[in-house]
Amino acid sequence: MTQPLYILSACAISAQHTYDATRFLDPVLSVNDGKLFMIDADYARYISPVAIRRMSRMLKAGITAGMKCLEDAGVKTPDGIIIGSARGSVTDMQNFLKDMINMKEEALTPTAFIQSTYNSVNGWLAMMTKCTSYNQTYVHRGFSLELCLLDAQLMLAETTEKKYLLAGGFDELTDEYYIIRDKIGYYKKQMPESQALLNHYDTPGSIGGEGASFFTVTNDADKASCAIHGLQMLLQPTSEALQAAMADMLSQNGLKNEDIDVLVCGMNGDSRNHFLVDPLIATCADKTTIATFKQFSGEYDTASGFGLWLVNYLFVHSCIPTETVYKQGTSDEINNVLLCNITISGDATLVLVKRNSLAG
Amino acid sequence: MEDLKRTLKQLIIESLNLQGMKPEDIDDNASLFGDGLGLDSIDSLELMVLLERNYGIKIEDAREGRKILTSVQTMAEYIQQNTKAIS
Repeated sequence: MTQPLYILSACAISAQHTYDATRFLDPVLSVNDGKLFMIDADYARYISPVAIRRMSRMLKAGITAGMKCLEDAGVKTPDGIIIGSARGSVTDMQNFLKDMINMKEEALTPTAFIQSTYNSVNGWLAMMTKCTSYNQTYVHRGFSLELCLLDAQLMLAETTEKKYLLAGGFDELTDEYYIIRDKIGYYKKQMPESQALLNHYDTPGSIGGEGASFFTVTNDADKASCAIHGLQMLLQPTSEALQAAMADMLSQNGLKNEDIDVLVCGMNGDSRNHFLVDPLIATCADKTTIATFKQFSGEYDTASGFGLWLVNYLFVHSCIPTETVYKQGTSDEINNVLLCNITISGDATLVLVKRNSLAG
Repeated sequence: MEDLKRTLKQLIIESLNLQGMKPEDIDDNASLFGDGLGLDSIDSLELMVLLERNYGIKIEDAREGRKILTSVQTMAEYIQQNTKAIS
């Protein structure tokens, strides 16, 4: 990356108390049926009663997370909105398809169709913030969120003016969608308690999850607590390719393995990912703490958004929640954090985040 | 006619997801749009589909639709005059 992407604020609505970060993992919310659904937030705070009545849960969560993120950053109208979603609003799509079948393609209601599109959240956020500038949606499975961050970084690199962008990702879980993904081997056959997911690395599959994670990103270093300095997306890499990409990213930033204070690892409990995760963990220095998050978020295409929210949390609170610690390192500082996400299909993403030393 | 209006109000509440509202909360002659019930243009499409699905009535002319969808009273009167009764 040519210039850092500063994170000014972050907001996530997930299966844990992330919307109110003061309650994060207090208590840990766990399920035993493999479906980690989001906790509803205070949607009515941002969405009018007339609009909210026809919105699906995901639409409400996406809009609310985006609006709160901007509010926390003190930004009323962003200079652009860039959002990633692998599946869009699944509930609305299901309702529309069911309607098509039941009504034999006659007399179909418009609402579910209108709101099933991938860019519904973008559109609503643009209207609510009166943002008439750049508005982009990335639909690219496990890379959807990372492509948003890359696009934001490229956009901010083109200007010397201070600009503020809303970037984020969301994906939804429904009972029907769970059944479909289960048939293609996404989920474990013997479902463990979700918070114990990583103790079951000997069987294939993971657990289902959903969530919306948003970030106000900027080229203004003044108030951000951290910044993204490196971003890599790897399509079904070998273990060697993943480690080489990691070494390359660290080297470009003048860092070595032992400079990483925390590795936030998006391992998902799938035995088929062992060959990527185990060597990665083995290369970590003694000082590096390894933190994990998918036992709290569940697995979904933009789950790395939960991971990046956690990374921002570490910098803002200067502590690592003990519940997330997979391996305790010797370092008591949090200056360099590497987020590594592994998807069910074996793709990997790396995001290097450093403490912002320029914060005013 | 009274039964028809009550059924119609219930259908409106269900199809437009008017949370917390009961049929008796909707006045027969209150405007459905603007200052009355506060519905919008997407709701008008939903109401047209509601008439087609439940009463077999297809509104082809938008100007005529505006008159029909003025209130529960005007909708009920139009249904009574034009019912083909699907349900």
